[in-house]
Amino acid sequence: MYSSLILLPFFGVIVLNLPFRALMKKCAFWLCLSIVLFQICLILFPQICCFSDKLDALGSFFKFDFAVDSLSRVMLFCIGIVLFTALFVQRNNCEDEDKIFNFANVSLLILCGMNGVVMVKDIFSLYVFLEITAVSSFILIAFNKESVAFEGAFKYIILSAVATVLMLAAIALFLVISGDTGFSAISSALKVSQGRFFIGFAVGIFLCACFIKSGLVPFHGWVPDAYSSAPASVSVLLAGVVTKTVGIYTLIRIVNSIFGFGDPIKHLLLAVGAISIVVGALAALGQKDIKRMLAYSSISQVGYIVIGLGTGTALGLTGAIFHLFNHSIFKSLLFVNSAAVESETGTRDMDKLSGLAKKMPLTGITSILGSLSCAGIPPLAGFWSKLIIIIALWVSGFRGYAIIAVLASVLTLAYFLSWQRSVFFGILKEDLANVKEAGFGLVFPALILAVIIVGVGIFFPLFINSFALPIENILGG
Amino acid sequence: MQDKIILLPIIIPLFFGLMVFTVPKGFRAAKETLAFLATFLNLLIAIALFKSNISFSLPWAGLGLEFSLRLYNFSAFIILSIATFGFLIALYSIVFMRDKPSLKQFYAYFLITLSLASGVVLADNLVIMLFFWEGLLLTLFGMIYIGKKEAFKTATKAFIIVGIADLCLMVGIALTGHLSGTLAISQINLPLDALGSIAFILLMIGAISKAGSMPFHSWIPDAAIDAPLPFMALIPAAFEKLLGIYFLTRISMDMFRLTAGSWVSVLLMSIGAITIILAVMMALIQKDYKKLLSYHAISQVGYMILGIGTALPVGIIGGLFHMINNALYKSCLFLTGGSVEKSTGTANLEQLGGIGVKMPVTFACFIITAVSISGVPPFNGFFSKELVYDAALERGLIFYLAAVVGSFFTAASFLKLGHAAFLGKLSEKNKSVKEVSFAMLLPMIIIALLCVIFGVFNSLPIGLIQPILGKERLAGHNYSGFPSNAWLVIITIIVLLGALLNHIWGVKNKGSGLKAVDHIHYAPVLSVIYDRAEKRFFDPYEIGVKIAHGFSRIGFLFDRGIDWIYDNLTVKLTFAFTDQIKKLHNGNYSTYLIWSLAGLVLIIIFLI
Repeated sequence: MYSSLILLPFFGVIVLNLPFRALMKKCAFWLCLSIVLFQICLILFPQICCFSDKLDALGSFFKFDFAVDSLSRVMLFCIGIVLFTALFVQRNNCEDEDKIFNFANVSLLILCGMNGVVMVKDIFSLYVFLEITAVSSFILIAFNKESVAFEGAFKYIILSAVATVLMLAAIALFLVISGDTGFSAISSALKVSQGRFFIGFAVGIFLCACFIKSGLVPFHGWVPDAYSSAPASVSVLLAGVVTKTVGIYTLIRIVNSIFGFGDPIKHLLLAVGAISIVVGALAALGQKDIKRMLAYSSISQVGYIVIGLGTGTALGLTGAIFHLFNHSIFKSLLFVNSAAVESETGTRDMDKLSGLAKKMPLTGITSILGSLSCAGIPPLAGFWSKLIIIIALWVSGFRGYAIIAVLASVLTLAYFLSWQRSVFFGILKEDLANVKEAGFGLVFPALILAVIIVGVGIFFPLFINSFALPIENILGG
Repeated sequence: MQDKIILLPIIIPLFFGLMVFTVPKGFRAAKETLAFLATFLNLLIAIALFKSNISFSLPWAGLGLEFSLRLYNFSAFIILSIATFGFLIALYSIVFMRDKPSLKQFYAYFLITLSLASGVVLADNLVIMLFFWEGLLLTLFGMIYIGKKEAFKTATKAFIIVGIADLCLMVGIALTGHLSGTLAISQINLPLDALGSIAFILLMIGAISKAGSMPFHSWIPDAAIDAPLPFMALIPAAFEKLLGIYFLTRISMDMFRLTAGSWVSVLLMSIGAITIILAVMMALIQKDYKKLLSYHAISQVGYMILGIGTALPVGIIGGLFHMINNALYKSCLFLTGGSVEKSTGTANLEQLGGIGVKMPVTFACFIITAVSISGVPPFNGFFSKELVYDAALERGLIFYLAAVVGSFFTAASFLKLGHAAFLGKLSEKNKSVKEVSFAMLLPMIIIALLCVIFGVFNSLPIGLIQPILGKERLAGHNYSGFPSNAWLVIITIIVLLGALLNHIWGVKNKGSGLKAVDHIHYAPVLSVIYDRAEKRFFDPYEIGVKIAHGFSRIGFLFDRGIDWIYDNLTVKLTFAFTDQIKKLHNGNYSTYLIWSLAGLVLIIIFLI
């Protein structure tokens, strides 16, 4: 039944581009929204979707090799919820029907690509869906055709192209070594293979490709420019799920299913993760542009995910995936908040903003919740995932990394508090006296995301049974 | 059911006290009526309870903590005293406090204090006693606090000093309970071994600090200036002496086997002697009616502690007799001070003088109580002091000398006070001074009469006190009547005459009653010490506060240091890194590309 998650957006794009454009322009947004809602419902309530067995018959025409485990379900849910948010933000920020139509089109493509990435179980299909996602996101970044956006998109393309080349080369090497592209086949071939040099090289370049796509230090150069120059809705999408899917998810999946947690890989992941955490946090501290700060914060938070993965234990993996989920939620929320501030005041420069909490109470409150969740303040969701990661680091003996992780979360709190103070607290500046609360399209998704953050945090004991424990089972699978 | 009557001295004042809180603003008469009614009822109950023996117990918190009360000859005697003073001072307050602010709080605290004091006396369980005892700390704070605008500082000082002493008491109670295995006061009987002595001293600190002995005295002179006057007459002059000495007697007679000759006994006597001398020396030089009295309130405690500390029957009887005498004349003296203040508007001796003619009844009451406190025969103070002298002499000449010297200065300072306030030249301002109203005079007259009665017919109070010690200790002696040791009486009279001569000489020298003791005040060494003492150099509280300030200063510097590390060092370091990282991100994609390739090469080298 999960194949419908790829087929529906795919056919959606085709239907939208059928000859009766005028009608389709009107219903493009709603079509896209309903597909996204269908995805969310399917993940939350798998039992209601029995009718989709028929779609499975349709799926048998298309030769895709799908495997959906708990990790994939978490990703599918994140993709659904963030795309839902992005659609609302786009509709709120843009009145132009053509643009919404185009956005819905590309959204469906990117949805198709990301769903594919998280469900396939062979490395070449993975590559294909990655490319679908990547190309769609280039388009989205430059969606408004502004020069800064072109620059951001261009940097992304250049580095992404490098990643593509590396990945393709690695796949070719794996094909040579194992003669197959399935995860399990490559995994077993790598274990018995003698060519350590080739394997090391192939693993190295594949990991680098993943690092570039996830925006880890020192492969992160494209992240701040791409995130900050993209339109608001695209920033939400990019930071919330796209890089997480194409980068982090791929990394987790490949390391877990193919490479295995050998000592060199563990140390590599831990080192890259720690550097990303510290550099990202320090860089975020110096930013004046809200979106740039959030972009650097993303780098830092992705570091947490990778460092959790680097422990190679079930607990660390659980923490990493839980943090991935949390990061999708709170980072999308914060980008929605930044979009709200930008759309009401016309600027993202923190120095020009002050005291907005009085004028934009809902945005202020949700942004505080998002920031605190990101900084790991109990009882919000982010606290639990960071806690699990730090505990996992401690018990598996990487105590130095655990201390770095704790100290860096102080830095996280520092830059988020300075953001909150300069934007939402303090005295309202005179030229901001006429600011109003942002529109429904920005407040509604923000509230939903904030509810998720608080709910997951408070009902964490319930959540860990249904969410975290199944994740442990995928280890080494 | 009959034994529940024992609860009434606690419940009735408490009930009326809480009622006072509910009286709306403006109904002054209602508050006064409530206070009068409560104290009057309380007095009736105390009279009814007198001479009865009642034990009452309610299960309470478990673990040997029972709400048990016990009324026997000693506690009934104290309860009656408390009720009497409560009634008389309430009567006085009704006129005195009429135009003062915070009337509601005053009466409410007054009545609750009465209730708590009865609770302390009746409690037969140390923890229950502690509960009432600590409750008194709160009303003490409240009653000082409502005095003046600046009274907050004094109230805090009293709160801290008494609080520290109460903490010792609390530890002492825990230790006593641990040693004896029970918290029921009537069942405790401990020897004064190593741990027992520590427990005794801790309890003793609680008791003597409540009584206002040195070194826990320093809030009393401050309160004399700041707190409402009836408070001074009620609490430091009467209640605290009654409660403190009552508890001291209980612990040294019943709970611990204090024997003459033990070092604890010597310690108690030393505290008593030092308190007598130092406090009376301070009293001598005061220029404020109430402050002078407050130092005497401290000094007189010394006699009681000295008497009880001797651990001799004659000393204990003397101490207890002195306790009740002191409560009488000291509260009356404070009331005369209040009357003078009410009539003239000041208690500063420099602005008084000659008002004895204008206020004859007050003056007469002052004279009676002043000669009582000075120990002139045949007033009550004379007899109790003689008993204490007797016991002190038996334990050591030095203690006797301290007591006699204290007596000399007491007499000298009251000669000065009486001369400066009531005799001498009447100033212009005080020409129109009138005698105070009858309701204020009545308590003073009653107390003054009691002073005379207790002196002339001293078998009356001593007859009540002697059974407290029990037949065993008394061994057939009877201490009432005229003192047995004629030499002591002769020495006392010589000392008193000496004080009179000293006064006459001083007045002749300096020309005024107020300056009669200046030759002592400005004597070569004393003047320096006095100067320092007046500046509170020797106040244990001030010293403690200075030490605390020293610690907080060090703590502050330490804190600043840590703050500097957080606020400056880490922030600067962090931003130095941040600036470097910002500089590295130059926005040039080729740079980013180079980083990526360098990273790639490093990773491949690492993995291969």
